[in-house]
Amino acid sequence: MEQVKEDIIQIEHVSKSFGRVRALTDVSLSVGRAEVVVIIGPSGSGKSTLLRCINHLEGVDKGCIIVDGMPLTDAENINRVRTEVGMVFQLFNLFPHLTALENITLAQRIIRKRSREESERKGHELLERVGIPEKADVYPVQLSGGQQQRVAIARAMAMDPKIMLFDEPTSALDPEMIKEVLDVMLDLAAEGMTMVVVSHEMGFVRAAADRIFFMDEGSIVEETTPDELFTAPKEERTRQFLSKILH
Amino acid sequence: MLSSEERVLSESREVQHGSLRTSLDRRYAVALIGSLLVLVSFFLPLFGQKIVRTVTYYSAEEVVSEYPGLIWGQHYREGRPPKKQEYVRTELEFGPTDVGSGSGCAWVSAAIEDEENRRQLIGNALSLIAVLCGAIVIGIIGLREWRTGRAPGLGAVKLMFYLAVLSVLAMAAVLLYQFDFDVSVLKARVGELDVAPGYWGMSLGSALLLIGVLLICQNRRHPVFSWWVLVYGAALAVWALSKFKPVPFAEIFQFLSDGIVVTLRITSVSFFCILVAGLIGGLGRISKNRVLNGIASLYVEIVRGIPLLVQLLFIWFALPQVNKSLGSYIVENIPAISGLGEWLVNLRLSPFSAAVIGLTVCYGAYMSEIFRAGIASISKGQMEAARSLGMSYFQAMRWVILPQAIRVILPPVGNEFVALLKDSSLVSVLAVSDLTRRGREYMARTFLSLETWAMVALIYLVMTLLASRAVAMFEERASFER
Repeated sequence: MEQVKEDIIQIEHVSKSFGRVRALTDVSLSVGRAEVVVIIGPSGSGKSTLLRCINHLEGVDKGCIIVDGMPLTDAENINRVRTEVGMVFQLFNLFPHLTALENITLAQRIIRKRSREESERKGHELLERVGIPEKADVYPVQLSGGQQQRVAIARAMAMDPKIMLFDEPTSALDPEMIKEVLDVMLDLAAEGMTMVVVSHEMGFVRAAADRIFFMDEGSIVEETTPDELFTAPKEERTRQFLSKILH
Repeated sequence: MLSSEERVLSESREVQHGSLRTSLDRRYAVALIGSLLVLVSFFLPLFGQKIVRTVTYYSAEEVVSEYPGLIWGQHYREGRPPKKQEYVRTELEFGPTDVGSGSGCAWVSAAIEDEENRRQLIGNALSLIAVLCGAIVIGIIGLREWRTGRAPGLGAVKLMFYLAVLSVLAMAAVLLYQFDFDVSVLKARVGELDVAPGYWGMSLGSALLLIGVLLICQNRRHPVFSWWVLVYGAALAVWALSKFKPVPFAEIFQFLSDGIVVTLRITSVSFFCILVAGLIGGLGRISKNRVLNGIASLYVEIVRGIPLLVQLLFIWFALPQVNKSLGSYIVENIPAISGLGEWLVNLRLSPFSAAVIGLTVCYGAYMSEIFRAGIASISKGQMEAARSLGMSYFQAMRWVILPQAIRVILPPVGNEFVALLKDSSLVSVLAVSDLTRRGREYMARTFLSLETWAMVALIYLVMTLLASRAVAMFEERASFER
């Protein structure tokens, strides 16, 4: 599919080190609007680091990242970008001292400055959309992992972001709960949300991904599509990785 | 239809309940017997004799009192404060009481009717009434629980425990009262006092009450003794001393009460400032900005290395000199901010302000470390989630990190408050009229060192124990909400 509009995320020749460890080496990629991009790779390959650079949770040493036309250079831009980019974490990171609904309405009220009624209405709507409307006044500690992650997705969605980032969203879940979270993510993809996902869930990759990037040791090894990936990957390293995770 | 397993379980439970029931009965029996004994003995004579005359010899004068039991108090009533160094000896003259008027019942009614001497007698009467009430209440609770066979509720057991302890203490107080709470006189003269069956009955009854209640307590899983007992005990000691030995303790307490107010004021004002200083310092310590971090770390290291007393003395004595020289230097050499220089030169800190500043600077450093540890204990993911939603650093702190950190830092902050209460005694060197300083002043006037300092120590104990309990309640509430 040809992207007529400008790409919403442009990552250009980005390098990053943590002390002496090179996490990213000259990585470039771009994500188009309404595109679902999945990044796969072994641990330590830099995929989470790359994801976290997109909303500047990590700064880059070399290169630049432009999100929705705004380069991530000064603090004002960064904050604005963060309101347009929602992130879902592996360990959920829900605020334990607030109920599920309060988790979702907090950012709306203090950043988007919405009224309490408006933000609560949106909160209830989103909880319904992720399938747990009855858990609005429940504290995160009382929810299962799958429910917590769905609340986390709703919390990120409450800010009406243009892009959603997912950092291994199902890696910390019991197998029975993975499906409920993936279903929510598939719905989001079907509705046309731009998503960048780091995951090992090959079912999701097959069902929703538009493009797949395989990373290893800090650089992109291969860029491919789901069909190509599962039938004939080009690089040897990709084949090795796939043979390990598809058992 | 019960399975064989269920049947065995229910049978064993019955057996347990049965033996539990009989052993409960036996324990209640002890308490009930004690209760009965107290009730009966209340109407028997307590003492066969009473003190009819006390002659107290001082080196300078001899003072005679016709009233039984009052040695120190009587002197004070005649307008002369007692001086312990002058005291040489006491001679007691005993005479018989008639049977009826010697009973506990008679003592109480005599105390209530005798308007003239009521103040002296009322302490004694109250003790007897306390024992009586204890016996009645324990008896009623015991009977009720015994008949229904249920285990008593925690509230009922606690009440019985406190009443039983109070009864035993009260009976000891009644005996001591005969000798005006002067243990030396008690030791010398106790053989001469004719102790009648009524007193033995009530004492034995109280002892049985206590033993019975302790046996009942043994059966429970929850401990009956709570730390509140200490608070009550210390407060009771203060009250009892002032009531039973008004000379010198009531006067001491009067004199110290202004100091108590000052101590509380200093502690509360300082604590508020310390929280602010701690928050700022803590945020400085975790900040990634090297300058802020450096300043905060320097502050903490220096202040933690100098004793609080030295810091207070420095602020009171040395700082005015520093201010003066710094101020005059500014006035002479930096005309642009000469206003600041003038202000510095003329700055006169009141003792109260100096004390608050000193305590804030010192405790603020410790509080900074507590805040730092508390904030750092909140996982990084929380800050990341907040920032990725678009919150600024301060918004994330205010709404996400600090509300969680407060639950972590509450126990150590509570500890610091209690420590602050005690360390506030150091401001007495700064001419602040707090509790310790009032104690020193009173001691300088009367040389009653033991009485004065015992009272001061007890008052501090009551304050700190109350504060500890309040902090513990706060912690409980905060953690439950989680």
